[in-house]
Amino acid sequence: MSLDIHVAPPGGPQQRVTLHGRLDTHSFARLDEALAPILSAPAPPQALVLDLGGLEYISSAGIRSIFKARKALAPHGGKLLVVNPQPQIQKVFDLVKAVPLGDIFASAAEADAYLDAMQRKVLRGEDDDEN
Amino acid sequence: MLIRLIVPGERARVEDLNASLDTVLARHGVAEGIRADVRLIVEELASNAIDYGAAELPVGQHELSVNIAIQGDLLTLDFRDTGAPFDPLSADDPDLDADIDERPLGGLGLYLIRQLAEDIRYQRDGDDNRLTVTLRIPTPETAP
Repeated sequence: MSLDIHVAPPGGPQQRVTLHGRLDTHSFARLDEALAPILSAPAPPQALVLDLGGLEYISSAGIRSIFKARKALAPHGGKLLVVNPQPQIQKVFDLVKAVPLGDIFASAAEADAYLDAMQRKVLRGEDDDEN
Repeated sequence: MLIRLIVPGERARVEDLNASLDTVLARHGVAEGIRADVRLIVEELASNAIDYGAAELPVGQHELSVNIAIQGDLLTLDFRDTGAPFDPLSADDPDLDADIDERPLGGLGLYLIRQLAEDIRYQRDGDDNRLTVTLRIPTPETAP
């Protein structure tokens, strides 16, 4: 099985990308290509949410793609969040400390709640500045 | 010995290799978690061998081979390639505690293998690079 990549329609401060199959040395280049326009946009998303519920396998080639995406977002203050990693994926993430634990969520709803809270904090911060 | 497979040292064939290994291991009742570890180890070793070992060989001369044997609760994976001498174990571990955005992208594959394996050894054996990787197969607690 190879890799299926579904990029949700852009809109709002978060961009969701859903992966199914295997992210490995054969497929990582396709993920890099799919993410390139998102990461190089004039206003990259504040959060890139990778939904990994359907991803069954990752190797170091896939980890490198995730690192690259994180590095591309960082200068703009963007975050990379991971949703619902399956056991093999979580194990590999843990071994190489690929994604900070606070950026991994068990469900899309949890990630949304986190992003909402982050957004409210940003808005509150802006209000404080104006006052 | 459970299985011995030989394929040309080409990226496209690594997936064939892994698909065959997975089928055989599943047939022998090896749990999915261990099969995923085997897949990862073979992919990482094959990528290394193709990246570093095959450069000076004529096209078609580079081969990868995998032997797998299971004895008791140990699975031994004997990985060989016919490339130039290259000991991947000589590389330093990546610095995992560096800032996540500053970390180098290389070295992760071998680091993963070291974490998953009970033991890993390199030797130059004739014209082959030979890596022997041992994995412990968790036995169900209900086993006698």
